[in-house]
Amino acid sequence: MDWKIIANAPWIWICGFIQAGIGMFQAWYFLRLGSRILQKHGGYKQEDISAIARGALITAIGPIMAEIFVMMALVISISPGYTWQREGVGVGSVFTELVQASNSAIGAGQEFGTDSFNMVGFATAIFVANISCIGWSLGAAFFTPYLGKAREKIAGGDIRFLGVVTICSTLGIFGYYAANNMKAGGGKLVAVVAGGVISAFLFKLAEWINKPRLKEWALGIAMFAGMYIAHLFAGAT
Amino acid sequence: MAAEKEGFVDIELKVFEEEYVKPVHKVGFWTCIGVSLGMFLPPILLYLLYGTFAPWEAIGAGMALALTYAVPFFFIEPISYYPVYGDAGNYMSMTTGNVSNLRLPCAAVAQAVAGVPEGTRKGAAIAAIGIAVSVLVGVIGVFLGTLTGGWVTAQFPSWLTEAFKAYLLPAIWGAVFGQFALRGPIYALPALIIAGIPLMLGWKAYFTIPIAVFGTILFGYALYKWRGIAPGGGGD
Repeated sequence: MDWKIIANAPWIWICGFIQAGIGMFQAWYFLRLGSRILQKHGGYKQEDISAIARGALITAIGPIMAEIFVMMALVISISPGYTWQREGVGVGSVFTELVQASNSAIGAGQEFGTDSFNMVGFATAIFVANISCIGWSLGAAFFTPYLGKAREKIAGGDIRFLGVVTICSTLGIFGYYAANNMKAGGGKLVAVVAGGVISAFLFKLAEWINKPRLKEWALGIAMFAGMYIAHLFAGAT
Repeated sequence: MAAEKEGFVDIELKVFEEEYVKPVHKVGFWTCIGVSLGMFLPPILLYLLYGTFAPWEAIGAGMALALTYAVPFFFIEPISYYPVYGDAGNYMSMTTGNVSNLRLPCAAVAQAVAGVPEGTRKGAAIAAIGIAVSVLVGVIGVFLGTLTGGWVTAQFPSWLTEAFKAYLLPAIWGAVFGQFALRGPIYALPALIIAGIPLMLGWKAYFTIPIAVFGTILFGYALYKWRGIAPGGGGD
């Protein structure tokens, strides 16, 4: 049987549904738990929770669409079923998956995305891609409680310093990604700068005009506007 | 919306531990174990149903390459991201991936909408809601994307597809950086410089990311310890 037919047969879709089912249950449970404690002990109302969820939903649209675009490389090179199994609740992003599929193909003496990739390459990819990322989920299972304790220990229960740690680590993470793309120059530099300036402006504007709902849209608007401005810039140069 | 910035009161620690943290760890642990076990299912089923198992030498070579890439991130990602999204956020992010491009921006916008101070218990619960929404929407989006097999994306003009691929991620990273630069302007430029130097030196991501994160935290610590500078909303 052609490996591409096996790679899209019901068994792999079912594997994907099992993984996605666990991931969706986890997310639904934490969503319910978070909204319950905020309403019961945090003074939040249902509409406050809805606004928070709406903000996240708007922000998620762009990255998910981008993921779907990149995901097509996996759909075409392997199969929709494999893509669903890996990306439904894949631990890795699409980029990680592409790297892992390429690594598996090299391990099998083949080249991912070419005619040399066959059933052996597929069997290697399905093993390597799945098993090599267990470190993330197992690490989370066993070490998450210690991360909280470590953070408390570092900050010594000082809430102002916890604020410093949170903001600095976020700026550190995104400073890395931003600087990495700024270094590339051209459209990527423009996308980072435009995204940053527009986002900062919109969050500030929401406070100036006292329209907190604008914050729900701020990141979503900034990312699309940054992308479009970068496209215009790249087209003009 | 609850006016969090004015007279912020956090959820009581004991209540939070009992009613939120404990069930988070219980469900987080078992779901992560479930996802980990589920990873074994595809290679096992491929063998049982079709009698195909990858040659061990191919697995060995592929795993060696894959783990060289992945292992540093098993440690770096949760340690670096945890202060932003807390326990539930860590379980979800390490189960579903796409942390920097999707989970963190959703957590950040959720906290901004609520106007909650950083590093608080309410902030952790709100980040969890933001990330949970991104997981639920993401799974549905990916399912529809794979089901239509590229039909939807083929409807977009090619310039838009290319723009998405090339510029959406840099724009996201710039946008989240811009948002947090507002919340801690004094740290913004140093964060870029601390990340930029090892990048200019061509160091690998698994060295550069911890340097960027812990270097910026160290800078924040120095300002806090010697000049008493902390972000405005941090419970003061």
